[in-house]
Amino acid sequence: MGTAVQPETEGKQRLSDWRMAVKSATYAMTTLAMLALCGLENAHAQVRAKADVSCQPAERLQYDCIIKLADSRTSEPLSGLTLTVGADMPSMPAVHNVRPVKATEEQDKGIYRARIALEMYGDWALRLELSGTVRDRVVKLLRFESDRVGEATPAPERHRH
Amino acid sequence: MDDYLIGVLSNIGVISFVALSAYLLLLTGEISFGQQAFFAIGAYAAGIATALWGWPLAAALVWGAAVSGGAALLVGVPTLRLHGLYFAIATLAFAEMVRILLELFRYQISIDGELTGPNGTDGFRNIRYIFDHNIDAFQFLLLIYSLLVAAMLAFMLLERSRLGVIFRMIGQDEALAELQGIPVARRRVLAAGIAGTLAGIGGGLYAHLTTYVEPRIFDIMLGVHSLAYGLIGGLGTALGPLLGVLIDIGLLESIRALAGYRMIIFGGLVAVLLIVRPRGLLDETVVHKIGRGWQRVSLWARRSSLKPRGNSG
Repeated sequence: MGTAVQPETEGKQRLSDWRMAVKSATYAMTTLAMLALCGLENAHAQVRAKADVSCQPAERLQYDCIIKLADSRTSEPLSGLTLTVGADMPSMPAVHNVRPVKATEEQDKGIYRARIALEMYGDWALRLELSGTVRDRVVKLLRFESDRVGEATPAPERHRH
Repeated sequence: MDDYLIGVLSNIGVISFVALSAYLLLLTGEISFGQQAFFAIGAYAAGIATALWGWPLAAALVWGAAVSGGAALLVGVPTLRLHGLYFAIATLAFAEMVRILLELFRYQISIDGELTGPNGTDGFRNIRYIFDHNIDAFQFLLLIYSLLVAAMLAFMLLERSRLGVIFRMIGQDEALAELQGIPVARRRVLAAGIAGTLAGIGGGLYAHLTTYVEPRIFDIMLGVHSLAYGLIGGLGTALGPLLGVLIDIGLLESIRALAGYRMIIFGGLVAVLLIVRPRGLLDETVVHKIGRGWQRVSLWARRSSLKPRGNSG
């Protein structure tokens, strides 16, 4: 008798687990489908920006950066844009949220200047957010030290630490 | 809304997925230091789908979640017999293996004359979906939180279901659960699969939020954090890991004076809580008390609404 009941109970249990899994999947899929239908899919060609960034230490953990923005296809300087500079630490994603600062445009076209304040020395991913006539984001990896700013540490170097 | 606030809230939302993923495994009694690997797989898979294959975002997120969920199932099977320290080391080894494989992974194609795709240690840039499709930061924040709410609803269902009870039973005493006729091995693999899927969704969102990923983002630091969020916030409810993320990214972020010392404070907080409240702030006892309190309040409200009111006339 007992052996006859056990598979039935197990069957019911499995069915309940499957119902649970199907319900969860339905929630997730419905949300995704709704969002996909909400007009998120109207692609259009955008101007892609490229940037050259050079930074110099100013005060402790503060750096003056000069950013040259240009169209990546035509190399024409991009001027008249609103540029904000933020930073994230790749080794600690989403943990260090440096408040973005607004860059000011110099007299020369496509050249911007900003002073950023970081939380510690090390490799940082500078996030250059462009808005206005061009909306884009350029990410630049740099290593910020007390006396200089250079290229981010290459991977083999990181492995040695 | 301020761009900075949107950025912080987006980060909280995205990291919550990997925290929930580690929390689910904690429920089944396993400590995983490897959930960042599934976050990475989800990020790369979803990023490749939109940036290189031109898929819509929704399909890419599903693809990222499926690939990472599948990988989690594949890891779940050989680690079935491992427990405690051995399981933790095995998951850490897997995560490091994934990270190093990503450092070797190159798959680039020319898009608009520019090489795009994963390029080893240089990472994967130009995941430009949100820019190419004119999705602003606030819209993307809504997308993150819609999916997070969906995940939380699924968790609420899970915790009220037989499967949720089974997960907790396995976490409390695996041998006893087995004696009760529960197919422990299958349930543990299922938990690993769900956890991997959740981390994969988070990874897909992260890749599109930042537009840039690289292997070192997914190192042990992210794994330790995702585990710590559940331990700080509490294992009594799925809101626990979210509370952990809020404390780390939200509260500590708001105290700018502590910026340079955050890791020390965070580590200290974990150590203190492990001694004082081993199952976190929202542990089972607190959740039970809140539930009882809520029941009493609703009962009192129902009774007072049923009471006959005195006639003034």
